[in-house]
Amino acid sequence: MVEFSPEVIDTVIRAAALLGAGFAMIAGIGPGIGQGYAAGKAVESVARDPEARGNIITTMLLGQAVAESTGIYSLVIAIVLIFTI
Amino acid sequence: MKYINDPNRMQIEIIKRTYMLSIIPIVYALIAGEFETLLGFILGLIISTLLLRLRVLNIERSLDMPEGKADTFIRNRYFIEYLIYFAVLVVAKRNPSLNFLATAVGLFMMKFTVIIWAIFDMAKGGLQNKLKDYKDLKEDKYEKGGQ
Repeated sequence: MVEFSPEVIDTVIRAAALLGAGFAMIAGIGPGIGQGYAAGKAVESVARDPEARGNIITTMLLGQAVAESTGIYSLVIAIVLIFTI
Repeated sequence: MKYINDPNRMQIEIIKRTYMLSIIPIVYALIAGEFETLLGFILGLIISTLLLRLRVLNIERSLDMPEGKADTFIRNRYFIEYLIYFAVLVVAKRNPSLNFLATAVGLFMMKFTVIIWAIFDMAKGGLQNKLKDYKDLKEDKYEKGGQ
């Protein structure tokens, strides 16, 4: 059986943690695309019914505030992986 | 919540409710004497309040743009906000006088408030509907009994 030195094991763990942080950051892209799409549709809705502007802004604000959470979850995980190990 | 049509009023309502909900962890941190947690939480809360204001301004600006441009604008602004979140979290992680998890919770407080508020509204609406159905049923029975 091949035995690795503690330095090698440490390096592998660190590399895996950094790789995991990179993968976690992929989750940050999704909300951006989704929010952009929602904004496009909101513009379309305001063009169709300008009187509903206030209602559209409030709905969009709440939607965007909640949609962003998944992106921040991934950010927190990535920072923990980068700085803890 | 869904009946508020004025964005400024909605913004003030969200901030007010978030701060009301935040009193619980702040008092807990004060009683426990965990000042790192308190500072981290307050930092997260302040940044999330400012980012909410920024988001409202961005949304209002985007609605005056053509569809494709609004799409790109909001996407770019999201990534700028993401960078701000990253900077705050890195500062909280590297600074020993700030608790990292408390900062993250402070950043999330606004989202938790919106979700809790929506659930509360939903439960309230469901309960009111059930009560109305029950009253209608009772009135029907009473009318039938009277005949």
